[in-house]
Amino acid sequence: MPYVVKPGVIGVAIMPRIEGDGRSLEELLYDATQAVLKDAGITIEDVDGIVVASNDQYDGRAISIMAASGSVGGVDRDILSTPSAGEHAFVLGALRVACGQYRTQLVVSWSPTEASSIPEAQRLAADPYFHRRLPMDEQASHALQASALMAQVPGLDAAAQAVLRKNRANGGRAYPDLVQAPAQSGKPTRWPLPADSMAPPVTGVVAILLAGEDFVREQGRTDTAWIAGMGWTTEPAFLGDRDLGEAPALREAARQAYAEAGIDSPLDSVQVAEISDATPFQELMAYEALGLAPRGEWAALSEDNRFGANGSLPVNLSGGVTCLNPVFCTGLIRIAEVANQVRGRAGRHQKAGVKRGLAQASSGMAMQYQTVIVFDREEKGAAA
Amino acid sequence: MSARVGIIGIGQSAFKARRDDASYPDLVREAVVTALNDANMELDDIEAVVYSLSPDAMVGIGNAERVGVDAVGARNKRFLRVNTGGATGISSVAAAYYHVAAGACDVVLTAGADKVGECGDSQTVLNKIWDPTYERQLPLGTINMLAMSAVRYMHKYGMTEEDMARVVVKNRWQASKNPNAHLRKETTIEEVFASRYISWPVKLFDCCPQSSGGCAMVLASEKYIKDRGLDAVWITGVGHCSESYYLGDRMGNGQTADHADAFALRASFARAFKMAGITDPRKQVQVAELYAPFSNTEFHSIEAAGLADLGQAPAMMREGRFQIGGDIPVNPSGGTLCTNAIAVTAMVRVAEVAQQVRGRAGGHQVEGARVGIASGNGGDHQFFGTMVIEA
Amino acid sequence: MELLKRKEAWNITYTHALGETASWFYVQLRDHAKIYGKRDAKTGRVLVPPRSFSDQSLQPTTDWVEVGPGGRIETFSIVYEEFQNLPPPPYAFGYVLLDGADTAIGGFFKGVDLTDPKAASEKLKIGTRINTKFAEKRVGDVLDFWFEPEAG
Repeated sequence: MPYVVKPGVIGVAIMPRIEGDGRSLEELLYDATQAVLKDAGITIEDVDGIVVASNDQYDGRAISIMAASGSVGGVDRDILSTPSAGEHAFVLGALRVACGQYRTQLVVSWSPTEASSIPEAQRLAADPYFHRRLPMDEQASHALQASALMAQVPGLDAAAQAVLRKNRANGGRAYPDLVQAPAQSGKPTRWPLPADSMAPPVTGVVAILLAGEDFVREQGRTDTAWIAGMGWTTEPAFLGDRDLGEAPALREAARQAYAEAGIDSPLDSVQVAEISDATPFQELMAYEALGLAPRGEWAALSEDNRFGANGSLPVNLSGGVTCLNPVFCTGLIRIAEVANQVRGRAGRHQKAGVKRGLAQASSGMAMQYQTVIVFDREEKGAAA
Repeated sequence: MSARVGIIGIGQSAFKARRDDASYPDLVREAVVTALNDANMELDDIEAVVYSLSPDAMVGIGNAERVGVDAVGARNKRFLRVNTGGATGISSVAAAYYHVAAGACDVVLTAGADKVGECGDSQTVLNKIWDPTYERQLPLGTINMLAMSAVRYMHKYGMTEEDMARVVVKNRWQASKNPNAHLRKETTIEEVFASRYISWPVKLFDCCPQSSGGCAMVLASEKYIKDRGLDAVWITGVGHCSESYYLGDRMGNGQTADHADAFALRASFARAFKMAGITDPRKQVQVAELYAPFSNTEFHSIEAAGLADLGQAPAMMREGRFQIGGDIPVNPSGGTLCTNAIAVTAMVRVAEVAQQVRGRAGGHQVEGARVGIASGNGGDHQFFGTMVIEA
Repeated sequence: MELLKRKEAWNITYTHALGETASWFYVQLRDHAKIYGKRDAKTGRVLVPPRSFSDQSLQPTTDWVEVGPGGRIETFSIVYEEFQNLPPPPYAFGYVLLDGADTAIGGFFKGVDLTDPKAASEKLKIGTRINTKFAEKRVGDVLDFWFEPEAG
């Protein structure tokens, strides 16, 4: 750990699917903030700073952080936003605690479904110079990525189906009231993504409270998920500049996080993982880049079920994005789920005896942004 | 406690109304190359990038930071974007600062650009910053939003339109000395008065232009700087603070902040000053670059920075205390009033102060500047970032 | 050399949920031409327009309070410039503290000749008493009402 102060997660509120109750966005943010304060057992007076993340085009607000200043307690407080990704708000919040100038940070991300078309909102992210005229939304980019991978890995379809089956089984256990049975249209919307494999976009909010080692010690807390390592990276902008069947940015993000956490062999080190599975192909690619299973082993996964709920390393016990898809905050939810597993507060899908957990979050076209966080149950040594 | 963080490279465009010769990422790259040359570094030396970009709608590209990844050379590196509206630029420098202060990185680049001239009508875009429930149905824009601040400031402290014009004359005169400024033509009080009303009491000359251009800065740890014997100036104070989203909550009875003043800017400066050990800014600060896109807002910014008592800034301006050669020159670069490429405007404030305390501000150098302050305002006069920079 | 440009427009619409508090406010406005605020129980301040929580105290608001129709101007501006998708100039709008309220609500000012900026700004100066006028046909929007100076 290179940090001046060791940061950890002391509170989590995950609202992965909110439907039809008519609350305004600001009311949802207020409720999520109150919930995370309650989970951590602290008051807003204990919060030194805030980092939020949202997407102007999903929100229909030209500077969507503005709606947050009042609702998440930002009035007369220090609040920043990282609209690049929900997981980036976590990284910046953690850095602010880690530099010793803040005792706590509140991190909030949200994803509404008030836009007439989320794919259309995503298409605006294509540059007007070369790509805007193409039908390039995020699903389309994920399909192009899957197709590139398919050309490199034989038998990929069966491995992808196994990932879907695993995540659906997990989601049904973790959030039985929220997860819908997949549609049965049988029609693929974007080849080669399997028909009915994408969960529909839903409204969601996630909030996390971070605190430094001094704050945790003073409060005598024992339910902190300590940040043992963080890595965050990006792929280049243009898909044509990438080998879409490889995830070099994720390999680098994992290298950064593992180096900080002192991990040589992740399979021997972590007991639980959450992976951004916007498509099952992305989960497979993440297995490889995170050092959990190279592509040569993917065909065996449906047999040995090593990443299943009872496997040697359960991945996406929450059911992942396969089951609940609040689009913009799915990455931060992966981090929140692992923090809760390490804190022993994951609810129905808690795995017993988690000492160390791994979260991977990706955002953007064909996983442009990659973030890897390692959490520890024990505070292993103070910061540098 | 964390070690000090230094600024070792600065690059900014010569800002203009249009840059049809350069795409949006081209403009970012131009600033990055200038900053790296200034620092005598290569892109490979950079460990992380903080991307400075305010509303996507201004450049007309959703998550436009993604298109900028290559311009800042961030492939397979740490990368994130910050947005606090008009304060984005200073918030991005702060975010880069936290990367280094936390111990996560030794060398961090922050960069961005804007092409406000391409968005059609920035006030149309900016109307969409207000909440759709209550305030967006009104014809709000940033101009009339701050015109309403002027009306309250006039009412509370007796500011006149002539006082406002005096700010324009000072800043245009200072901008004429700065080759990077967008509006560099000197003007007179009579000319300001002859310009048409946009939103009473704000006239055309009281308004900032819509500028295109970029800015970039390289920050490094004290150890990195000392090990290599590099020249640096130091970020010794950093602060942020916010106000309510609702303009109508900044008036009436019992409000925390008054829309006449800049309550959260004052609180933000208090945080930065405490960190830097500044107890009497009028004695300890020699130069200030304060984000003021309209002439009237320079007054409450000066007061929030502690350089004048509440309501006293117009009188002190009349005495020439805030111009180059005065007690504490404010916006010697010409400020936001003469150049506003929104995504980087507040970064330019920090960059200009850093150049001043480096003694490299050229024609608009403030003699003997050792300690300077910078600020940025964003949202609907809602988010405020501040910094203290020392030689 | 020839430098090309390309025109692009963003075409997305949004259906924003207003929540219970704003919904009730707008129904009263639409159906009864009445303006209500909601009280912050902790500080006693009446928030107009009503919010379900106070961003100063972070407490939920509690009881409804009818406010206005009289009030005083807290700030204003008179717009003389045309902006895309905004009303044709000149027009005046700003914020009013309605009687019984502690925060100001935005709306248009009408009934004032805006031709001469100086004279018009005198008629709208801070502290001026106003009356709230309601449109005959109301849709549940802040444009259902506007303010006119009492003195005319």
